[in-house]
Amino acid sequence: MAAGWIDLAVPADNEAVEAVAEIFSRHGYGGGVAIEEPFEHEKDGDNLRIAVERPFIVRTYLPNDDTAGEKIEAIERALWHLGQMRYVGALTATPRQEEDWANAWKEHFHVHRVGARTVIRPPWREYARQGDEIVIDLDPGAAFGTGLHPSTQLCLIALEERMRPGMRVLDVGVGSGVLTIAAARHGAASVDALDVEPVAVRVTRENLALNGLLDEPAIPIRVAVGTVERTPEFAGRYDLVVANIIARIIGDLAPALVAACAPGGRLITSGIIVDRADEVHAALAAAGLAAIEQHQMGDWVCVEGLRIAD
Amino acid sequence: MAKRVKAIVKLQIPAGKANPAPPVGPALGQHGVAIMNFVKEYNERTASMTGQIVPVVITIYEDRSFAFVTKTPPAADLLRRAAGIDKGSGTPKRDTKGRITQAQLREIAELKLKDLNAVDLDGATKQIEGTARSMGIEIVA
Repeated sequence: MAAGWIDLAVPADNEAVEAVAEIFSRHGYGGGVAIEEPFEHEKDGDNLRIAVERPFIVRTYLPNDDTAGEKIEAIERALWHLGQMRYVGALTATPRQEEDWANAWKEHFHVHRVGARTVIRPPWREYARQGDEIVIDLDPGAAFGTGLHPSTQLCLIALEERMRPGMRVLDVGVGSGVLTIAAARHGAASVDALDVEPVAVRVTRENLALNGLLDEPAIPIRVAVGTVERTPEFAGRYDLVVANIIARIIGDLAPALVAACAPGGRLITSGIIVDRADEVHAALAAAGLAAIEQHQMGDWVCVEGLRIAD
Repeated sequence: MAKRVKAIVKLQIPAGKANPAPPVGPALGQHGVAIMNFVKEYNERTASMTGQIVPVVITIYEDRSFAFVTKTPPAADLLRRAAGIDKGSGTPKRDTKGRITQAQLREIAELKLKDLNAVDLDGATKQIEGTARSMGIEIVA
């Protein structure tokens, strides 16, 4: 077994990236290459663009053994040739310890309390529910909503305050399923959940299963790929609708989100960067939402209100 | 969603065979991503493409969740296939390893265009041409 690894990294411009990656793949462990792409957020927090004018960082890894020196020389030679045609920066070689990569990431996820009584527990952590807490088992992964983002936390807090047993709930943009599970734990009579991403639907089902809520007859939960706009059967049906998406999409979906609420029903929206809160507020008001309130955590805002009774 | 992005990482790894060893482990580990969940998802999604390098762009969000999309094969793979060679040249200026035609170059650029961060087909063609040169592949009329 190798005594750890050597992390080889080189900055290169966008046009040289494929060529550097090719050189690295000849020598790197398993032919694998990692490229860090520079990007910029647009001010609204919704969109980003790849900043092609800045250097990309291309990396590969070598086992730190007798052959490493020779491989690094070969890579340096090939990079020098490439550097005659394109911008390629200096190669750095940093020794790295072997780590338990399969498990080390778990250190980032702990039992996590949100609001007054919501607790999120990764499957490998122990936690015993106390008093009136609700405990959500959540495997963090390939869909948004680990409970660590302010927008998710704002929604969880709003659910703590607004959920009443027996409510019919719609979760638009379900992601990991964290809000659907919270609603069920707060006593929802039923939850319908939608996402445009098939991955989110699958991850939600897995998390529902972790919580004993998949195909649980006492609390019917339906999860489907779709959008609230194109699903007219949702109109006017829900006591509570929650949508943790992004400002632009909440603005676009405002009429359908408000229409999904039963008269007097409540809409909770988040994923809204503070700079765009006014715009979302206006779109929801125009769609017929009243008694609008706003809550903020960091740069993020939750906007909620009631559909006026017809 | 509601996601501010923390990092964008592209990995070029063999389809169906991702594991926590480098480059996946250290590249994603530094961002605190649930590596085994990525590995499982990637291998499931690329199982039918075993034997090829299938690049994947992983968007890592502030809450450590992630999303990924698989991409077209690396330009180098397509060039090697077009030129009928095994690997690139260590000393491209002295040592020509193979040839492809302008038409083949254009075809590869068209296939790669959407994944290259290039403005247009000409930009993509220039990039692929650069990669070909650095591999010691000559472009002939």
